[in-house]
Amino acid sequence: GVHCGACRKMSVYELHYFNNRGRAEPARLLFAAAGLPYRDIRIQSEQWPEYKLKLPMHQVPVLEVDGTMICQSVAIARYVAKVTGHAGKTDLEQAKVDMLVDGIDDVMTKKGDYVWHEKDETRKMEKKTAFYETTLPQFLSHFEKLLRTNNGGDGFLVGEGLTHADAWFLCLADDILLDFPDIFSPYPKLAALVERIRTYPGIKEWLAKRPQTPF
Amino acid sequence: MPSYKLTYFNVRGRAELIRLLFATGGIPYEDVRIGRDKWPELKPKTPMGQIPILEVDGQVYCQSMAIARFVAREAGLLGESSSDQARADMLLDGGAEVGELLKEVVLEKDASKRAEKKKEFSEKSLPHFLTLYEGFANDSGHFVGESLTWADISFFNMMDFLTAEFPSALDGYDKLSKVIENVKSNPGIAKWLKERPVTDH
Repeated sequence: GVHCGACRKMSVYELHYFNNRGRAEPARLLFAAAGLPYRDIRIQSEQWPEYKLKLPMHQVPVLEVDGTMICQSVAIARYVAKVTGHAGKTDLEQAKVDMLVDGIDDVMTKKGDYVWHEKDETRKMEKKTAFYETTLPQFLSHFEKLLRTNNGGDGFLVGEGLTHADAWFLCLADDILLDFPDIFSPYPKLAALVERIRTYPGIKEWLAKRPQTPF
Repeated sequence: MPSYKLTYFNVRGRAELIRLLFATGGIPYEDVRIGRDKWPELKPKTPMGQIPILEVDGQVYCQSMAIARFVAREAGLLGESSSDQARADMLLDGGAEVGELLKEVVLEKDASKRAEKKKEFSEKSLPHFLTLYEGFANDSGHFVGESLTWADISFFNMMDFLTAEFPSALDGYDKLSKVIENVKSNPGIAKWLKERPVTDH
């Protein structure tokens, strides 16, 4: 747990989500990297209609901190990163982390659009093709360049250590590698970054024991 | 004093929140507005091929929310504690979701589809959102604590766009109307609203 300096009390963290990685996994990775205990609640679909009414925007993930509920996956991950010292050291570093997270979020949303929202099978395939032929390569080539601007690209995305930008990046990587295992071959620094995050102390153990779900 | 240069098109769009935050903080910045014809030349020089970008003493940042958060921090509008800041973040992110739904309505070319989407938005998504947010606002017309934060300013900016399509959207929402009043009466913002270029979006 984390000691609140003034009150010498351990905070209690509960993360509410479904039984998959989805938009809760970046926060789970950050808890793991810090060795910070939390309750990893996985809601069953039958419970959902009633469950959602208790939540601030009727959506998950929600992080409950000593009874206060925070929703919105990016806000949650940023908060866990701040509490665990993985948010970026200076204002400018934090801005850089935020910008990379927002870029990843954009791409994940585009992917989610064809996976979850497009019902027509033909349109779905068209959008998937456009995603993998245009959207994703453009994004990955920006990111390979952005990574290289940070000390040659042999560390993490921003600054000297792991930040929530790396946590989000691993989640995206996990997803796209399922479709195309060699997706990173044109991007050697990004490929090495994925391995670096996977073997980060705490994250390595979590990856070995986390529930295996398709997404 | 660092030098700030914001580059975007000559519209409010994804830069206006940033401009409002500079105005609230009384922070001088260069408000560069480029013509669409200049964009192809600039695009490859940006971190992700998009604008707005903010240049701070030579470093270039993209992603409107990341930039807005940075300016909010410099202007002291982020929220006091980590939990206040997380609350502001969550309210902003929820607002952005509704903003995307509004965009889908506004950008629909087919007239009958547009009417359908507008009806669905005004009967379902909009009331759902406003009811939740009326609950998030306190009696003094603030979303986080007792003073102005970027959560209030962002809500104001969103309602600016929304009331163009739905002029009476906030009728009956007393606390949300108070949030709008608090933002509009901030001296830096009042001045900006008087002086800013008038654009259709």
